[in-house]
Amino acid sequence: MTNEKFTDKRFNLTDEKKSLAIDVLRQRLNRQLEASLEVCVRCGVCADSCHYYVSNPKPEHVPAYRAEQLRKVYRKLFDPVGKAAPGWVGAAELDQEMVDELIMTAFGSCTMCGRCVINCPMGVDTRHIVRTARAMLTAIDMTPGGLKATVNVHLEKGNNMGVNEEDYVETVEWMLEELQAELGDPSITIPFNKKNARVVYTFNPREIKYFPYLIQAAAKIFNAAGEDWTLSTESWDATNYGLFSGDDAAAAQMASNLEGAVNHLGAETLVMAECGHGYRSQRWEAENWIGHSYPFEVISFVELQAQYIKEGRLKLDPTRNQKRVTFHDPCNQARNGGIVDEPRYILRNVVTDFVEMTPHGVENYCCGGGGGMLSMTEFSNARKEAGKAKADQISATGAEIVATSCHNCLDQLDEIKRHYKLKVKIQNLSELVANAIVWPTPPEAEEEKTEEKE
Amino acid sequence: MDSIAITRIIAIVGLALCLLGILLRLKTIMNRPFKKDLSRERGLTGRGLLFAFTLGMAPWEKESTRIHWISYMRGIFFHVGIFTAFGVLLVSPWLEILPNWLIWLGVVITGFGALFGFAGIFMRLSGPNERVLSVPDDYVSVFLSSFFIALGFATLLWPSALPVFYVVTGIVGVYIPLGKIRHCVYFFFSKFFFGKGFGHRGVIGQSKGKYAE
Repeated sequence: MTNEKFTDKRFNLTDEKKSLAIDVLRQRLNRQLEASLEVCVRCGVCADSCHYYVSNPKPEHVPAYRAEQLRKVYRKLFDPVGKAAPGWVGAAELDQEMVDELIMTAFGSCTMCGRCVINCPMGVDTRHIVRTARAMLTAIDMTPGGLKATVNVHLEKGNNMGVNEEDYVETVEWMLEELQAELGDPSITIPFNKKNARVVYTFNPREIKYFPYLIQAAAKIFNAAGEDWTLSTESWDATNYGLFSGDDAAAAQMASNLEGAVNHLGAETLVMAECGHGYRSQRWEAENWIGHSYPFEVISFVELQAQYIKEGRLKLDPTRNQKRVTFHDPCNQARNGGIVDEPRYILRNVVTDFVEMTPHGVENYCCGGGGGMLSMTEFSNARKEAGKAKADQISATGAEIVATSCHNCLDQLDEIKRHYKLKVKIQNLSELVANAIVWPTPPEAEEEKTEEKE
Repeated sequence: MDSIAITRIIAIVGLALCLLGILLRLKTIMNRPFKKDLSRERGLTGRGLLFAFTLGMAPWEKESTRIHWISYMRGIFFHVGIFTAFGVLLVSPWLEILPNWLIWLGVVITGFGALFGFAGIFMRLSGPNERVLSVPDDYVSVFLSSFFIALGFATLLWPSALPVFYVVTGIVGVYIPLGKIRHCVYFFFSKFFFGKGFGHRGVIGQSKGKYAE
């Protein structure tokens, strides 16, 4: 074993597990995967595109090295020269040593952020290769414990933190009461299960459990924009850790839960909370996992906020956010989803001093919190170490606030902040938007004020 | 039969085997499943594809090629050398009637191509990452390709080298579908999927959006 954390019996490769893993590879070997497995020329120019390599430059952190581990297995199984002369082309058996290496490379040192994909001169999709390796390992019960548990809890309880319906509803109602009191406006609503609402909004369970003020931020924005929106009690978890475990069946189940909720409510649009992988899963991958297209549109809350601002539906005062702000692009929204201009458009309207990181947008460095890394405590030291590239980027901006639109990024950035002693505050984009909203004084309050004056 | 005729047969047989090997590789990949993307398009897929096969290959477009521009340009010269050497092979029966300027243009391109090809072996041996990543096939593939270009160069200057060029062509031809050089087949597939995937999502090759500054 390469890591003492994987000494559990379930990480032992049996003949049965070996053939199951190989079956998974065989089933997933489509044209796209084969092209990526075959086309790499091992030039190594992808090295600097990886935040693991930038933070700790060693050959094992080169994306091509990671992909090469699965390629070795592929060549041994599918390439005539790999079968006849494995040493010549770098082919290898799927044995215990290889499985250990795959765990460390596919789960332990890659967030599937896609930066190497964008930077590969040959167009190799290392994300795809790594996810295939994860799928093989997951099929033989070799997913690291935390990730496995996160997926299982989601499948069993309907959300990845096991929040029950009562707690969910109570937390939302509590936040509603606080928001009404804060704004002095009892007309603010957070509707549950409203039939035929235009928009269904989702949450990351962390918002319910640890960051309930983000519920307020979302509610403030929806109410200010006059949106016809609702929450669902049937299914509301925006996350989908099946994306990270490589388990398409589990991922499809989680995605179907949300699809069912939106269909039952008859909404036009499913709005994904500020959750990078949740957006990527539901917007880009889910329909392919499930096998049919949705009858509704899926968008990110970031896109919707930009739309509200563009349409003049939010009255904003950027002077309420006067500190210097930089933006961290979540990989699953920017590089893997094309949402690059929207957060910048939002920030130009809600803060007075916005500064870009270098690089940013599609070429932004992953913070290190993607790929399910935060759930895999076995790799937390490596994750923090890999955050150095991001810490250096943040420091160089001189910003006091790092805004982002993803919960995994939020948590990882917070850890980076503490680990590298950065004097910054990490905030969700919606918090800054909500803070900049100039709330119209309700008619009753206006009347009261006039009476007081008289 | 003279040596030219015999070695020409070797080259033709090698190239025929190469073609057969490539066709088998193509048949294999075309038999793999290809699933339509069911998600709604955000950008224009066509623009992504166009970008992937044109501007997306420019050395300034990717951070990796901006950082490793020497390595990238070496690769470009090397590949231009390979294509030129194939050109030399095609016109080899008529070398004597080619205009002088064309011969010298070929000499310059294949000369640099071979030089940059052999330099690739040195770079692979001297770079710590490349050394770890490399397998014997990498060295042999680069060597064979560079040697092939070098013989194209030699043939242009000294036509007596033609039989050796033909023999090496035969060897290279047989090796192409077996070794790493076969990436030339898969390159078009991977670039297609790259352009299609990221174009569909509106990540690459798109015009300015409504929220752009």
